[in-house]
Amino acid sequence: MGLRLRRFWRSILPSLQARLLTGAGVVLLAFLGLTGLSLEQGFRYSALEAVEQRLQAQVYMLLGTAEPEADGSRVRLPEVLPEARLSSPLSGLYAGVLDEQGEMIWQSRSLLGLVAPTPTTPPILGEPLFTSIKDAAGNDLFLLSLRVDWETAPEQYHRFTFWVAEEPAGFNEQLASYRRSLWGWLLGSGVLLLVAQSLILRWSLQPLRRAERQVAEIQAGRRSQLSGPFPRELEALADGLNGLLRQRQQHLERYRNALGDLAHSLKTPLAVLRGALNPAGPELPEVVREQVERMNRTVDYQLQRAAASGRDFLARPLPVAPLAGKVVDALAKVYHAKGLTIALELEPGLQFQGDEGDLMEILGNLADNACKWGRRRVSLRGHREGDCWRLEVQDDGPGIPPDQRSRILERGGRADSATAGHGIGLAVVRDLVEEAYGGSLEIGDAPGGGALIRVSLPLAG
Amino acid sequence: MRILVIEDEAPLREQLSQQLRAAGYAVDSAADGSSGQYMGEEYPIDLAVVDLGLPDRDGVGIIRYWRERGRRFPVLILTARGRWQDKVTGLDAGADDYLVKPFQIEELLARLKALLRRAEGWTRSVLECPPVALDTASQQVTVHGQPVELTAYEYRLLEYLMLHAGQVVSKTELSEHLYEEDADRDSNVLEVLVGRLRRKLDPQRTLNPIDTLRGRGYCFRLARSQG
Repeated sequence: MGLRLRRFWRSILPSLQARLLTGAGVVLLAFLGLTGLSLEQGFRYSALEAVEQRLQAQVYMLLGTAEPEADGSRVRLPEVLPEARLSSPLSGLYAGVLDEQGEMIWQSRSLLGLVAPTPTTPPILGEPLFTSIKDAAGNDLFLLSLRVDWETAPEQYHRFTFWVAEEPAGFNEQLASYRRSLWGWLLGSGVLLLVAQSLILRWSLQPLRRAERQVAEIQAGRRSQLSGPFPRELEALADGLNGLLRQRQQHLERYRNALGDLAHSLKTPLAVLRGALNPAGPELPEVVREQVERMNRTVDYQLQRAAASGRDFLARPLPVAPLAGKVVDALAKVYHAKGLTIALELEPGLQFQGDEGDLMEILGNLADNACKWGRRRVSLRGHREGDCWRLEVQDDGPGIPPDQRSRILERGGRADSATAGHGIGLAVVRDLVEEAYGGSLEIGDAPGGGALIRVSLPLAG
Repeated sequence: MRILVIEDEAPLREQLSQQLRAAGYAVDSAADGSSGQYMGEEYPIDLAVVDLGLPDRDGVGIIRYWRERGRRFPVLILTARGRWQDKVTGLDAGADDYLVKPFQIEELLARLKALLRRAEGWTRSVLECPPVALDTASQQVTVHGQPVELTAYEYRLLEYLMLHAGQVVSKTELSEHLYEEDADRDSNVLEVLVGRLRRKLDPQRTLNPIDTLRGRGYCFRLARSQG
């Protein structure tokens, strides 16, 4: 379950930058949202308070101008009130006075033609009540009412309820415009913060990007170590990587040297043994010779196989042409007496991603076989083909019969004397190409009847 | 023909020297790179067999050293590793052929003969200066197609003269190339050998294959039939 979730996150957030930006974005959104809500709430509260104060002032103004009859049945108010909105019809501000029985004994002229709302009677005498009611049409109204005991004559008290109501249009308008500007500002600053955040991120992740570039350069062979300065958090990683690179190089060299020494120490005694067999008697030496031969082939095969270092992604891509030229020159010398023509045709710019010794091994073994079996002409051709490069080595010798091909490539290179020349070399090249480099080797027929060995290798890069 | 063997493994060195001597070569041997390099530079050798895996000096370096100093004799390298990189580096430095250890002595001898012939411009294994023919593989000599029986020393002498056919070869050169460094050299022995060779090759004294140039040496004067 947790794993699935983790995989999900990894799939939608592939980069550190995306993670950090998303995280910051979510936090920012929540923060700005809560801020907006609380600001809005605060504003609404104080706007309501303002409405209440205003209405309270109107009520006191009414109280101040009202003159009740002595019997308390009526209240007189002047025709023209200080608040003009109370006198103009449908102004949105309404007022009225109720007597003890709750009968409307006065109502403002702004209520002309309207059904007067039924105000809520405040529970406590002398304490204004601010509330929200519905008018006859069901619209919201703010209402402030105040119950007073009025001494209309000495020792004669009458109870009146004064009320003022206001339509909330103005309030709503005010709230809406505040809301608009509030969310506008919040949105603006949110965008600004996100931009700033991504700039900061870009800046902070720059060393990572530099390290990435350098690793790519190491891979391309243009650099051998990471070089700082890196921030403290990356320093350890860079040092570790450099150490690993050094260690790997040393390890590879030690391994090679050890193998070389092993070869040397095994092969010289074998050479002595083989030499000693020569002048000796008949019966026994034949068996011994065979076994020495076999030991020698095994040692050869295993050593060549083990020394193959394989595709090296941190290695510098090797241009093929100079090495192939050297191999051809060397073979031209060795097969001088045969009078062979060795043709080398390489597409310009071919590169090999791997060990120089391995490439020499591939080219040397294939070309040597071709020279050994060829009669007059041997050719090495190399060209690109899709994401591979193909090496074709061809001779005009007897060729390799189809029924022998798979046996020649057999693991362990168990070649008999008839195919000794082709045997071990081809098996070694096959192993090297297929196991160490993920390429392929096939044996075919050359147009003239000789052998044609085709090797496909992944392109450098 | 005088061959220098540089090989640090004593049993292999001794075996090689013995087998090369048995095949009719004069052999100088060195157990380490520096004395081998000195011998190659100072001794009149015709060919060197150099092991690449020497403990004190790199075989490739020795070959390069000789070549830089104009020593042109053929060099055959012996390598235990069998890595193409080693072979190609050695050949690139100036070696002419290689053999991977362990090898068969017949193979080594065949390569040496081919190199020695090639050094004097012969490409085939039979040296032909009609009517004399010398087969370096079977060590058979014929005149007008008739086999001629020669002793080992007579054969070596004739082979050297025929390899250098048309060139004047001094007595000193002959004795230097036919005998090892510490051998007891007597020029009278050479004169006797040449005399016997003349009689065997040319009993009727019609061909006169070997000229004596007074004070300068000998010259095999029959023309080569091939390049």
